[in-house]
Amino acid sequence: MTDPSGANTPPIGVPQAAPPPTPRPTAALEVDHVSRWYGNVVAVNDISFALGAGVTGLLGPNGAGKSTLLHLMAGLLAPSAGRVLVGGESAWRRPAMYRQIGLVPEREAVHPYLTGLGFARFNARLQGVPDPDAAAARAIAAVDLTEAAERPIGTYSKGMRQRAKLAGALVHDPRVLLLDEPFNGLDPRQRLHMMALLRSMAAEGRTILFSSHILEEVERVADSVLVVYAGRLAAAGDFRSIRRLMTDRPHTFTVVSSDDRRLGSALLADPSVFGAELVGGRLAIRTADYDGFTRALPQVARANAVTLFEVAPTDDSLESVFSYLVRR
Amino acid sequence: MSVVAPIVDVTLRGLLSRRRMILLILLVGLPVLIGLLVRVSGGRPDADRVLDTLVVRTVMPLVALIIGTAAIGSEIEDGTAVYLMIKPIARWKIVLAKMLVAVGLTAVLVIPSIVIAGLLLGSGNDPTTAVVGYSVACLVGGSAYAAAFLTLSIFTSRALLVGLGYVLIWEGVLSGILEGTKFLSIRQATLGLASALGVDVPGSTPLAPGVCVLVLGVVLVGAFLLGTWKLARFEIRGGD
Repeated sequence: MTDPSGANTPPIGVPQAAPPPTPRPTAALEVDHVSRWYGNVVAVNDISFALGAGVTGLLGPNGAGKSTLLHLMAGLLAPSAGRVLVGGESAWRRPAMYRQIGLVPEREAVHPYLTGLGFARFNARLQGVPDPDAAAARAIAAVDLTEAAERPIGTYSKGMRQRAKLAGALVHDPRVLLLDEPFNGLDPRQRLHMMALLRSMAAEGRTILFSSHILEEVERVADSVLVVYAGRLAAAGDFRSIRRLMTDRPHTFTVVSSDDRRLGSALLADPSVFGAELVGGRLAIRTADYDGFTRALPQVARANAVTLFEVAPTDDSLESVFSYLVRR
Repeated sequence: MSVVAPIVDVTLRGLLSRRRMILLILLVGLPVLIGLLVRVSGGRPDADRVLDTLVVRTVMPLVALIIGTAAIGSEIEDGTAVYLMIKPIARWKIVLAKMLVAVGLTAVLVIPSIVIAGLLLGSGNDPTTAVVGYSVACLVGGSAYAAAFLTLSIFTSRALLVGLGYVLIWEGVLSGILEGTKFLSIRQATLGLASALGVDVPGSTPLAPGVCVLVLGVVLVGAFLLGTWKLARFEIRGGD
């Protein structure tokens, strides 16, 4: 959430390496200068992008506005400004567009008295598909829930519930699939299965957008990424370019060794390092080349007969990655 | 209309939770219990007064309040309403399905309570008049209550509290003191209808039958239209 006056908002720049995709009339989903505010708090601030077939990750720290953005796209919230178009038509107050869209909400709540299959069938009947029973069985099989299909959802684990929700969103074979934190609560095996499922659905020509606050999840499944920070679009485009920007940003490491002074002066000779200082009995090293520095450090230490006791990056939280992207 | 059936089915299953059902059965069992006690102790037969005080003023509005506010309100509260909202269904059909359940379940619970308690209690005249009169009046009145409370729960998450305030303060206190508030009272319209059907309704002069039908009709249709209007604009906020 940001101050609407913008007084505390860092300047926004979309990285040059990855300009935001411009809206095209053929896009399955278009977000056109959309803002959403609650009273005097801005949750989503003038965001534009367009999505076609493929998997896109909506990445951002908790509270960045990812869920608000997804709910705007799902027609569950009215934009305060701008417009959201699904298949070229407004998403807000147009129930017919739900034939094209499937949503997996973040909230865990699913009718606990329904079975997994019953929930999928309920969704299929409300979607008005020609053969709800067959559609429900297909969706349950797609999410690998057939064995537990006849059990009440109240008895499901978090991961099973997540898959039941996905089955409910797939019954009508939607063109656009929106998923809010779909990997939450999944064990590693289920996570891999979900990733494979998203990729295979994208290969069939669907537009898939999922939100996550975990970089590695997005990295493993998404072709492109939208980075949201403090309600704004901080970066958009090909994941690899953005990943490089994230990796090549200035990093600070703290090092504790048998001879910090000697190690510091030796490291300054290495091209990967652009700063070294002694702070509180530790050596602080600044580098713009993460990989180069982590390779050079043990070699320099060995060459100078210095023993390393501790090496730690100081600013590696996702927050710092996002704020770096936003400042660029 | 094929979407109404699955909504009715799921709503009913959601409403019939054990705790809620125990509370509702206790409520509608109360007039029956009193009827039994009166019958066993050989008390004076007085179905008119007991049904008026206990059913029309207490049990019927409370049952309609519990069911009406839960029919969609509990789904809004626990987050499952989103699965209805993301479907290509006209919003009036959702409201209609929910109202059918709320109105039907209220009637199924309240009417047998009136019939059994009325027959047990007896009446100075023929108890059938009191039983039929109150049953028909409560069928309409209970439907109006249930529909109004259902729509209220689309507008506010505190529908139970607001509804209780309406029943206890507006209808319970003010309509006894201020004559004009009668016209905005579902209870007064229900009693007026019962009176028109031959029931000897105790207390002040009942509303004219035409006015009663008008009030209850306006509440029912108004609740449906307002509920549809609000649901079409209903927003579900994200987690951040």
